[in-house]
Amino acid sequence: MTARGPASWLTAPGVALIACVFLAPFALLVAMSFWSQPNGTLLVDPTPTLVNYERIFSDGYYLRGLGRTLWLSLVTVAVSVVLGFPVAFWIARRAGRLRRLTMAVMLLPIVCGALLPTLGLVNLLSPLGIVNGTLKSLGLIDRSIPLLGTQTGILIGLVQAFLPMMVLPLVAVLDRLPPSYEEAAKSLGARPAQVWRRVVLPLAAPGLIAGSVLVFCASLTSFVTPQILGQGKIATFAAMTWQQASLVLDWPFASALAMVMLGLMAALGGAVLVLRRGARS
Amino acid sequence: MRMNWKATWSVAALSLALSGAATAQDFAGQTLVVGTWGGDIERLLREHAARPLEEKTGAKVEFLLGGSGDRMAKMYAEKSNPTMDVTFQNIYEAPQALADGLVMAPDESSPIYSDLWSGMNDGCYAMSLVGLGIAYNKDLVEEPVEWADMWDPAVKGMIAMAPYPSSEGDGLLGVAARLEGSDEHDPDTAFAKVRELGAPALNYTSLDEVFALMDAGEVAMAPMISGYVLAALKEWDNIGFAFPTDPGPVLVRDMVCQVANSPNPELAAMFIELALSPETQQAYAEELLFGPTNSKAVLSAQAAADTINTPEEVESLLQLDWPYVISQRSDWTERWNKDVLGQ
Amino acid sequence: MRRFALSGFTILVVLFTIAPLLVLVFSSFDDGKFFRFPPRELSLRWFRAAFASAEYRSSLFNSAVVGLLATIISVTLGTAAALGLQRGALKSRAALEMVLLAPLTLPLVIWAIALLQIYAWLGIGGTLPGLVLAHATFTLPFSVRVMLATLSAIDPGLELAARSLGARPWRAFARITLPLALPGLATSAALSFFISFNDVIVSTFIAGSSWMTFPVRLYSQLRGQGIDPTTLAIGTMVIASILIVVALSELFSRKALRT
Repeated sequence: MTARGPASWLTAPGVALIACVFLAPFALLVAMSFWSQPNGTLLVDPTPTLVNYERIFSDGYYLRGLGRTLWLSLVTVAVSVVLGFPVAFWIARRAGRLRRLTMAVMLLPIVCGALLPTLGLVNLLSPLGIVNGTLKSLGLIDRSIPLLGTQTGILIGLVQAFLPMMVLPLVAVLDRLPPSYEEAAKSLGARPAQVWRRVVLPLAAPGLIAGSVLVFCASLTSFVTPQILGQGKIATFAAMTWQQASLVLDWPFASALAMVMLGLMAALGGAVLVLRRGARS
Repeated sequence: MRMNWKATWSVAALSLALSGAATAQDFAGQTLVVGTWGGDIERLLREHAARPLEEKTGAKVEFLLGGSGDRMAKMYAEKSNPTMDVTFQNIYEAPQALADGLVMAPDESSPIYSDLWSGMNDGCYAMSLVGLGIAYNKDLVEEPVEWADMWDPAVKGMIAMAPYPSSEGDGLLGVAARLEGSDEHDPDTAFAKVRELGAPALNYTSLDEVFALMDAGEVAMAPMISGYVLAALKEWDNIGFAFPTDPGPVLVRDMVCQVANSPNPELAAMFIELALSPETQQAYAEELLFGPTNSKAVLSAQAAADTINTPEEVESLLQLDWPYVISQRSDWTERWNKDVLGQ
Repeated sequence: MRRFALSGFTILVVLFTIAPLLVLVFSSFDDGKFFRFPPRELSLRWFRAAFASAEYRSSLFNSAVVGLLATIISVTLGTAAALGLQRGALKSRAALEMVLLAPLTLPLVIWAIALLQIYAWLGIGGTLPGLVLAHATFTLPFSVRVMLATLSAIDPGLELAARSLGARPWRAFARITLPLALPGLATSAALSFFISFNDVIVSTFIAGSSWMTFPVRLYSQLRGQGIDPTTLAIGTMVIASILIVVALSELFSRKALRT
């Protein structure tokens, strides 16, 4: 495209949709996080106050929950990359006639939504489940490993639920990466590791970034999976927000929780940028 | 004489038809929106309240399904412009909704009001009565006779609990405080006593989860609300349900509310009357084992045995100070998360 | 050897991904009233119930309509936006990208409650357009992200070459870039559709009684009564139909190639 200006107008409809349907309510939430709920009513009092933020920052409980969720989401991304990249590579290069079927199978967790697969996982991971049962009958363990109600259990659930979001964008990118590139690099004497680092990874980077962003955000805001697999023992961001917003009906506090989380994410993103810049210079 | 009778009948029939036609015209094209729980409750309300109302008025009745918390949220968010006409809430929500002006106070002069057990209509009309009791694995433990049996050290850490906030959680706190000679106004004592149960073996999101683990012996007991539980237990041979004494089962109520400033107030009032009618209440009791609030409901011996349906039974139940419990919602949720669940 | 290692690894990961779904599929053939695994007595009871239930049929229909409309909006706007980001002025790119991805960062519940308040003020609570716009909004980031990745892998030189040979911009795009972007388009459409189709949280608040979706119906009864095995049967049928469609399309496309 020679004309750079006009093309950016293509973003306008999307931005308009987000502005009306997302940013307008978001602005309301920002305002609401500075409001309060007087005693004895669930209606809000729009007098500006910092009580919600004071409550979050004066009590490690909420910050720990937010931090734990950030950590779980990061680990989910890492595990998804490790598991997803080879699968995407296999689908793009080796699957042949199994390609579409494998893609469809990888899409199934998203097809089924969070609820039913999570209940399936409960059946697998519970003390009576197949995982513990098999390990027991093999004599590897004599007492059930507690998988439900632990961070490991939640992690398994998050990876299972969101792996497709890593694999699918990766396949879309790797598809466009001609095998001839690798061949050319090899024929020029590059070792396999070098081919990967210099050729495959840079070209796959957009897919990796897309997948990571999607998996990270999905894990961060995931509600059903941590709620059911954590069995209420582990507080996560979405579960805390849901409890406050939908059960306690303290919307100002729920809004403040969301704002603090956004702040933490921005800080994390900023730190990554600074580190990258530091590494480059 | 004969002629006269005939004439009277035909006049009566004609006027009935006319009045029917007139009301049908009045409400044709209107849609009443009723918020309630999905599953059997929706089915029974459709059969016994929605269909008769549709036939009588020509209006359409649609159900909005979800949890009662979702409906509370919806009412508060749509305060300026409600889309729901009737909503079913829990006892721990209805008084707050009335205090905040979201629902209309029950009409004490209406004929249906006097048919309901007195003193039950806090905030909204009482729809059904259930009690908090204990579900237990028959192989692992004896039938719990009194609440203190749940604190038996042998079952410590083997208790399943509903997520908080919920009637189950509030009821358990009320019971725990009373075991220590206090009541729900003393949350320190209540929470300390609940903590003695140990970390919950399971924080369940559905009945299937509890019963599967209870069936397998991983969960020994769970404080649960009669009704659905009793109906579901018919499928499980080795799980029992008991209403313990001292301090007795906690009375829990489903309420039916007319939303304030709703689009169809007249239809809403008619729907509520149908929902509270002996017929609907009997169906609730026979099929779901939810106790009727309408004193005129007549139950089969079987349903009568499993439900709270006599003034004496109602008397024996523990009633919490719900408006106070509601005012503590935010604090208690935080304490429950930290102290009971150990988050 | 390495080839087998990769295939073996892939098989393991695929198995891990679908293991919980296999549990669900097997459970749907259980005769009992509860979701349990392994099933005790096999029966088709719940499949018959699924077809018999008018409520399930109408809510599945609602979900499909909302999902389709939201997907069309999401993929169209998402592709346009990705093109704009990739080819437009660089200065605003980071900011615009952030705006377009923003809906991913908030738990849906709190956003839905705020949106519901705004809808109530505007008087569009419970309407189909309101619901579709909400679904299009939370699926748009997926389309944008996937299309950005897809477009970045397409050599813009190809389209430029076509234009230098006299093709008009739109035609060059439609003939060169669009076909190359097809896998990405399919991926974004699939993600958008199924994420919309399965949404419980936003629809619980935003969908009115006339447009109640399948997951809302399913979830509303989970708390009180547990999973209705009918829904497991429906899930199994959805999974089966997807796999059958894919397998058939594979079969026919190969036949078409051969003839």
